[in-house]
Amino acid sequence: MIGVWGAFAGALVLLLVLLAWVRAEASSKDSRSDWGAADQEQSEGENVEACSPEIVSQLFSAADSKFISGLESPGLENLFRRERTAVALHWVQETSAFISKVMRRHLEASRLRADLEIATEARIFLQYARLKLYCGILFVLIGLLGPQRLAGTALHAERFIQRVGEGLVEFQSAAQLREPEGSESL
Amino acid sequence: MSAMVKPLPVQEAYEDLLQRSLCRIPCDLGRLLYLASTRDYNTGNYHHDGLADRFSVKVARSALEIAHRQAFYKVAALSLEELVRDLAAYLESSRENPEEFLRTWQRLEPYRIAIPMEVNPTVARLFASNVRLALAVLRLRQSTHADR
Repeated sequence: MIGVWGAFAGALVLLLVLLAWVRAEASSKDSRSDWGAADQEQSEGENVEACSPEIVSQLFSAADSKFISGLESPGLENLFRRERTAVALHWVQETSAFISKVMRRHLEASRLRADLEIATEARIFLQYARLKLYCGILFVLIGLLGPQRLAGTALHAERFIQRVGEGLVEFQSAAQLREPEGSESL
Repeated sequence: MSAMVKPLPVQEAYEDLLQRSLCRIPCDLGRLLYLASTRDYNTGNYHHDGLADRFSVKVARSALEIAHRQAFYKVAALSLEELVRDLAAYLESSRENPEEFLRTWQRLEPYRIAIPMEVNPTVARLFASNVRLALAVLRLRQSTHADR
């Protein structure tokens, strides 16, 4: 009996997550439609700056939410929720794309190396998988709860992503520096 | 952003720009729009006659570009309450009819032009979204005021 109820609860949770995902996708698609080309061009540019922690905390700020609530206008509150959710979802997608780009570059550099360490590569892959999972969870939670309740989680994610991302970039640079030495010794 | 290293002539031109032009503008949004207006829409290059005469076209261009980015990030990082106050100050300084001003800004979204090239897309979106919200707040205040 417990098994049936457990399965039912599990299915319900899965359904909720799926609904949140669909809702989040729809919100981010809405906001993507009029920025599409500009976004693509900008994210492809090499000189685009990363989103600073100040901006991330501003995006998830509870103070803005309080300010809007204080105006006692349901229409404005709805607009605020829609606007912030769309920008927050875009930030998660951008971050996720950045992680994939760093990993892709790392893989390209790794393919050329002869002294690959399986343990290091496995550790990097696990960190990459963790970051992608983090982004996925954040995406669903933003769709489900809205960004204002996730300020702490988002900032923690941002710091974590930044740290691991920098680690990957440093590892890649070190590998690139080691490459000529390796080729000389061959 | 604030730690951006500027070569000496660019630094001088930047300070000149701050002292002669930007300090006369009463709000952050006004300064941002002024700086964006010095950019050519076709080429993306910045130009300011006075600054180019005192320094050089290239130095003036760099100083304007740096000032524009800094002004943009400053406005993008404002809280919604601060932005509403800043937008109200800009509206007042424009001496236009407030109702018409707000309606036109909501329809034409001229503030999108104020976004510099190659800024982080999330920051650009947050900026545009915040301005949209600030406009909605001012319109709400206006309609509440009219009802009384």
